[in-house]
Parts: sequence; C-alpha cells; structure tokens
Amino acid sequence: MSSSLSTYAPKKLQRRFENKEKEWIRSDNRGFLQCRPAFLKTGSGNAASGSAFAEFGSTKVIVSIFGPRESKKAMMYSDIGRLNCSVSLTTFATPVRSKAMMGFEQNEKDLSSMLYKALEGVIKLDTFPKTTVDVFALVLQSGGSDLSVIISCASLALADAGIQMYDLLTSVSVARVGNNLIIDPTNEEENEQDGNLTIAYMPSRNEVSQVTLTGEWSTGKINQAMEISVAACFKLGDVLRNILRESE
Amino acid sequence: MEVKSTPSQQPNLLIDQAIVPGDVVLHLSNISTNKIKLGLGLRQDADTIKATNMGLLKHSRPNKYWVESSTKRYIPTAGDAVLGIVIDSKPDNFVLDIKGPNLAFLPVLAFEGGTRKNIPKYEVGTLVYVRVVKANKIMNPEVACTDANGKSAEFGSLKDGYMFETSTGLSQMLLSSPTCPVLDALGKKLSFELAVGLNGRVWVDASSPEAVVLVSNSIMNSEFLSDTQQKIMVKTLLKKIEL
Repeated sequence: MSSSLSTYAPKKLQRRFENKEKEWIRSDNRGFLQCRPAFLKTGSGNAASGSAFAEFGSTKVIVSIFGPRESKKAMMYSDIGRLNCSVSLTTFATPVRSKAMMGFEQNEKDLSSMLYKALEGVIKLDTFPKTTVDVFALVLQSGGSDLSVIISCASLALADAGIQMYDLLTSVSVARVGNNLIIDPTNEEENEQDGNLTIAYMPSRNEVSQVTLTGEWSTGKINQAMEISVAACFKLGDVLRNILRESE
Repeated sequence: MEVKSTPSQQPNLLIDQAIVPGDVVLHLSNISTNKIKLGLGLRQDADTIKATNMGLLKHSRPNKYWVESSTKRYIPTAGDAVLGIVIDSKPDNFVLDIKGPNLAFLPVLAFEGGTRKNIPKYEVGTLVYVRVVKANKIMNPEVACTDANGKSAEFGSLKDGYMFETSTGLSQMLLSSPTCPVLDALGKKLSFELAVGLNGRVWVDASSPEAVVLVSNSIMNSEFLSDTQQKIMVKTLLKKIEL
C-alpha cells in the first residue's frame, strides 16, 4: 500500500484451500448442511409501512417497505403495480471501508436487480395498479450469503406491510468448495468457493422464484445442491411463519 | 417433497387464528356449502383457498371469510369514514392524502347544500373528516363531506385539537361496539371530542391541553392491551392529573 490516503486493511488471506481432495473445515464448527442461527424481527422501522430486521450469523440486514404510494415518474397508467427495489451497503458493511458517496457500487446494482427478480414472482402486483411499492434494503454488515438474507428479510417486511403475496419467500445459498457443498457460506467461505447457487423458494407452493448459479458445476452437483437448498428453504419457511404469527 | 398444509378439513380450526401468506385455509373438496364469499386477503388457488395477507382469519355466517390485519397504510373501501389532509385544490375538487396508495378527490360540491357560490375554502394542510364514496384499485378514490343521504352529519374540516397517526387495527378497535374499554374509562372522567378515521388517523379535542395529551397517550398505549389492562392504564394516567 503506497498511497498515503489509503485506509488500513488486514492483509488479504492467501487461498488456504489449495488441495481440493481434502475436506473443508468450517471456521465456526458448523456441519456442511447446517445454516447459521437466524434472528428475525418485524416492525423495527417507524416511518415505513412495514419493516424487518434479519441477522444470520454476522450478516445483518434491515429492509423497509414504503407504499403502495403514488408513482412520481410520469403518471402513466399501468394495470399492475410497480416494484422498486434498492439495496445499499453501509460504508462499514465490508471489512474494507467502501468508497462513500460514489453513487451505486456495482455490487449494489446487482443485488438490487436480483432482489427485484425474486420479489417480482411472489407479490400480487395487480392489487395496486398505478402505484409503486418501494423496497429499501440496507446491509449493515455483509458476512456472506447477503442476497439470501436480503430476500428472506424482504418477504418478512412485505408481509408486515400488508402487501398481498402468493406465498412467503425464503432463500438460501449453497457454495461449492472443491467437492464439498456447504450451505449458507460466510464471507471467508465465499472467497474460496468454486461455485454458488442461490435460490428463492416459496414453501407452501413448492415453487422456485429465482435461481442464481455462478461458477463451475457438474450436473450431478447441481441436482444435489438444489435438493439441499430447497430442503433448507422449507425449514426457513417454518421459522418465518412462526415469527409472523408471534408478531400478530 | 410434500407441500405443507395446515389441518383445514374443518375451516373452523383456523378462525380467529393468525395466518401468513401461503397458508392453506380451506380445501374446497371438503366443505359442504356451495358458495363461499372471499374478502380481503384470501385467494382461490385451484381447489384450495390460500391466504395472501398476514392477519387473523375471520368468518361470518353463513359463508364469508376474510383476513383482518392491522397495517400502517390504508386500503380505501367505500363507506369508510376517514381523516384526510388537503394537499392541493383544483377548480373541481380538493386533493386529499388519506394514507392510501392513491390521493383522494373531494369534489367541491360534495357538501350539504353545496353550490358553486358557497365552496368552502380549504387551505393546504386542512384536516377534513370525510366519507369514502367510491374506491377501487384502478382509480383515485372519491370522498365526500356528506353521508349517504346527502346530510352533512359531522363531516367537514376539523379545527383546533390534535391529530395523531395509528395503525388501522387500532382505529377499528376504537370504533367497535360495545365501546372499547379505554374510551369508556376516559369518557367517565373527561369530556373530549374524538374523530376516528379508519385510515389510521385520530383527532382529539378537549378544553384543556392536559386532557388532549392524556386522551391521545391513552389511545396510543391501548393498542396491544387487554380490557382490564386498558382500564388500569387509564386509571394510572388520570391519577397524574388528579382525577
């Protein structure tokens, strides 16, 4: 680091997992198919129509929902409502402080459009024509599997706001490290991964709303990963359901 | 993998229970009546009825089902009395914010004995107690300051007093009959004027500021309290101003 204006950051770890034959050991002693303990709560924000907070290990996300409210841009008539998703990371969310006020980082744009695609399939847009629902997700700490946590938290917030949905949406991601499939990867594990599968799943309808697959995969491994993640989403659906019932 | 379904052969098991989006509420093959009326928050999916909103499942004889939920935003429904705030005035109508998805229009002639000569002058920011005349999801709702028969019936602008926002569930509780315990207990000791809008706005006016503050705080506190807890809460607050 030569420039005098740079901030201090811990030295980037070398790839520890060079030998792909060995078994990966998870740093927090979880089994490969064990998700992090989750804490979810609705109703945290006051100004918003609905809001939820989710904490999965070290990943912390707050989602606020505003609306349905009047569309400001060109009041063009449309049969279905408009959904506007925006994900932003706080400057202290990542280990290295991100450049503040540089407009949207590329990562944020990706997350926003993926969140939009996931929610598009589950919200009944025809119940609020001509109006807009704004979904604002703020990542307080990015500790891995960010998109999954954002999606699950957003569906909780939408239920809290009273927006009509076909079903709750749960999401889990599976990383492929060598020959192992590990579920709900942390940041460290995501850096080492060779492939990642994130799905957004509707538990009661047994339908998948979104699949995001990156990296190197063989067909057998994809099948296996899908089964693992669908089973995990199903269990997460129960957790979400219990939280919503308690909050009523 | 099986789809999870709650035991709903008899729909009675879920009445007054908390349900979340995706819950199966009824299996149509199992019930006897021919026609079921679905209200807000329920949807037919092949041969099951599923919930789309989170809330309590309600049922009224013989065959009406709906989901009652308390939200911060209001969904305009015809016949409701709401509190709107004027945000603009056009030649033909006033534009009101009623905490719903769309702004509401109040025609300038929708007053008792209203003619072109005596249009009320509502400035931006005026609080108005109105009745929703027409509401559907594709149009801006239309409101009026008259009741269904054309009489003014207390509708119109509200002067003085204090307005605060609550959830729609609390508004419904305040308007339920028999009178809810918190209003009952307050009414025995204080005299005040109250306007409750089903859109989650409540207006209070009384002769002294302490009374206004006390009534507003009691109402805001009472949302999640049981009947006896409400009475105790009001009693504690009233002690503070020696009543």
